[in-house]
Parts: sequence; structure tokens; C-alpha cells
Amino acid sequence: MKHYLKLLNFEVNRFFKLYLTLIGLIIVSQFIGAIVVSKGYMNGVDQVMYKNQLSMSQYTEEYGLFSFNQFVGSGWFLLPIFFSIAILMIYVFFIWYRDWFGKNTFIYRLLMLPTERITIYFSKLTTIMLLVLGLVALQIVLISIEMQIVNSIIPTDLQSHFSFNDDYSLERLYPNTLTEFILIYGVGLIFVAVLFTAILIERSYGLQGIFIAIVYGMLSSGVFIAPLLVNRFLNGYFYSLEVFLLELVMSVIVLVSAIWIANHLLKYKIRV
Amino acid sequence: MIEVKNVEKKYGKKRVLKGLSFTAEKGEITCLIGINGVGKTTIMKAIMALTPINSGEILIDGEKIRKESFEKITFIPDTITMLPQMKICEAFAFMADFYKNWDSKRADELLQFFKLDSTERIANLSKGNMAKVNMILGLALNVDYLLMDEPFSGIDIFSREQIAEVFTSHLIEDRGVIITTHEISDIEHLIDRAVLIDNGEVLKEFSVEEVREKEGKSVVDVMREVYRG
Repeated sequence: MKHYLKLLNFEVNRFFKLYLTLIGLIIVSQFIGAIVVSKGYMNGVDQVMYKNQLSMSQYTEEYGLFSFNQFVGSGWFLLPIFFSIAILMIYVFFIWYRDWFGKNTFIYRLLMLPTERITIYFSKLTTIMLLVLGLVALQIVLISIEMQIVNSIIPTDLQSHFSFNDDYSLERLYPNTLTEFILIYGVGLIFVAVLFTAILIERSYGLQGIFIAIVYGMLSSGVFIAPLLVNRFLNGYFYSLEVFLLELVMSVIVLVSAIWIANHLLKYKIRV
Repeated sequence: MIEVKNVEKKYGKKRVLKGLSFTAEKGEITCLIGINGVGKTTIMKAIMALTPINSGEILIDGEKIRKESFEKITFIPDTITMLPQMKICEAFAFMADFYKNWDSKRADELLQFFKLDSTERIANLSKGNMAKVNMILGLALNVDYLLMDEPFSGIDIFSREQIAEVFTSHLIEDRGVIITTHEISDIEHLIDRAVLIDNGEVLKEFSVEEVREKEGKSVVDVMREVYRG
């Protein structure tokens, strides 16, 4: 456990500079975006009101209210998020391959630590999850600040009420209930675990391993979506609760087998 | 004692190790000798469970390797095993963090002996100095067995001398050392046992002193006999 925490701390630190850069990028882009979008809207409103000699209430009657979604749907808001997701996706691979490649083969050191080798896997897995959740948490804080920015530029009379549920993508990111939250991020965790195990298969068996890794990935996905497929095939034979429970069982099977295989590979099959 | 018994290893269809066996005792320096590509590095990796073997067995003091073994045996590969952006002192802190057997005092002594600055970044070190730091990462662990892969290759003559000096010091005494080389001349006077390897097989295993005393032959003499037939 002590080694796990030390490794976790170590792994997080290795990504931290890039992480801060990502955070900086998100903040700058979204704050500028909040200002640009609001100002742009207000300019439009002013022009239309002036040209047509409208009052504010006449304007809103005719053209509707400003919704925060207009900002959330803009590139200013979304692009840095997509960029961060892309970087983190790449890092899922890089977090392993960086230890093998380059002049300094750090993987020797990691594998020679006096600790169970699966600890390395767990620490890297946790690192990815922490990085993701960190950004998700940051985004909540940023959204509330961005609302203040928008409010300071656009009078509230011109704005419609905004909640997370109004926006499809935000609703996915921030589900309403804890259960949904655990489900969504649990699926994410399983996805990363399966990818990690696939990477270790490639690292253990080389070129052949790529093929095995792909087969393994497809099998895992297959097992994972089996309950949904079967249910559809049977035209909704199961109750949703039953599908849910089956899905839960399958998730556990996929996750446990990913960890079991990774453990076996790290112990007996890994090559440096 | 490290026992390598009948170890076979294939890369695809190519057999790199063909039922190779030898032993290395504690308190002795055992040298694996052979030209490049005969499987010396592979043997060391196999001992450390850094590469799988197809058959055979490797025992360290009668036991298969497990996580606790890494406090007892360590491997110094021919490239440094720390992140390039780390300072030397950070690399040492990392070692102290994970290994109970890390001897900080000895690490500092060695740093002084090699005249290295602990605030230097690993990436900025010369090849010779990097080899020295890599050596310290192994030597400052209080382990019973040390494996070193080509510690003298590609570094300058003064660094070689310094490293050779370490071999005759108390730092090595009482430990079991396995060292590989394809140039025996540098270390002939340091080693106790020689294991001649070719094509994944042990051609001959002998005590250097015994051969010298009884037959009046140097390691190079024996090598000539064995390799040239």
C-alpha cells in the first residue's frame, strides 16, 4: 500500500507539468470565450435594438433569450475539453511506452522494485482516473465562474435559466445521481484497464502481441456489451433492472480478468 | 548462490539460450564471457524476471525470484535506469523511498569518490558519469548479489579505472557479482570465476585462480583454446 501511494504520487508528478498546461489552456480559452461570446451577443442585441428601435422586452419577445448553452456549445468552451481528452487518451498509451522507449529504460527500475508488479499497473490506472476526475472537477468550478462572467456582461433579463441537464454533453459529464456517476466513470475505468492490459500483451509478445491484444480488446468489449445485445436480440425480454444487474456482472468479469491477465503478464511474461 | 539450470529461451524460432547452466557464489566475482549476441544480457534479464524463459529454472539462494528478492539482488544494465530529467539526488531519494536496503551514506561516499555533483541532472551527464551513477544505484543497495552488464563498455579509460577500483574495494567484498563483458582484458585480474558462453551454451566454466596455478594459463589462454578449438 505504501509503495502504491508512492508510485501514484510519482506517476502524477510525471504528468503534472503537462497537466498544468492543459488546465491553463482550458481556463484561458474558456474565460476568453465567455467574454467574447457574451460581448458578441450584446453587440448584436444593441445593434438590433437600435436599428429597430426596440425595448429590451420587445427584443426578447422577438428574438428569445440568451442561453448559457450558446457559450457551452461554442469552440471556446469545447475545443480545450476535446484537446484535453485527446491528450489524456494518448497518455493512456504513453504512460506505459515512455518507460520502455528513450535512452533511459525506466521500466527496468519499475520492474525491479521490491513490490508486487501489479502495483505499477494500479498506480498508473489510478493516475489516469485522478487526472480525468481532476479536470471534471475543475470544469464545475470553471462553469460557475464563467456564469459570473456572462452575468456581468449580459443583463439577467436577457438570459434564460441554465442547468446542467439542458446540455446533453454536460449531463453525461455530470450525471444527476451518484449511481450514474459511478456507472459512467466505472465504465471509463474498465475501458482504461482493458487498454492497459492490451498494452501489456503487446509488451509481452511483441508483434504477435498486437494481434492478441486486438482480439483480447474485442473479446472484452463483446463480453461487456453482451447483455445489451442479447436483450435487443430477444426484443427486450429482460427487465431493465435485470439488464443492469447482468451488465454489472459482466463489468466485474471484464475488470477482474483485465487485472488478472495484467498481473500474470507482469510477473511471468513481460519483456524489457 | 545463484543457480541457472538448463535455461532455454527462444526469440520466435531462434534459440538464444540452449539449456544453459552455471552457478555464481556469494563472495565471488563471476564473469560471463562471450562475443556480442551470445545471450549474456538475456541471462541477466532472465535472472531478474525481466524476460520470460521457455524452460529451465533460476534460483537465488534456493528460491525462485519474488518481490522480496529485489532487496537481495540487483541488476545494473548498460543504460541508466532512472528518468533523465531527475537530478542525481532525486534519483537517490527515489531509491531510498522504495528500498529498505538503500544505504544513503554509501551512496554519498560513492558520489564523492566519483567526484560527482548530486544536483546535476542525469540527462546532462557524460556517458562515463552516467555509467558511474548507474553503478551507484546498484552498489548503494545492501544486496547480496549484483549483476552488471558490460560496466566498462563505451566509457573513457579513467572512468574504467575508477570503476575497476570499486571492484577491489569493500563495496564488492562478500557479495556475489555476475558481470558480463566481451573484453576480458580490463577485468581479468578482478574475477574469480569465468563462464565462457557461445551460441547460447556454456562452453566452459572454471576458477580463474585454479587454472592460473595448476595450468599456468590466463583467462585469455583458456578462451583461445575454447573458441579457436
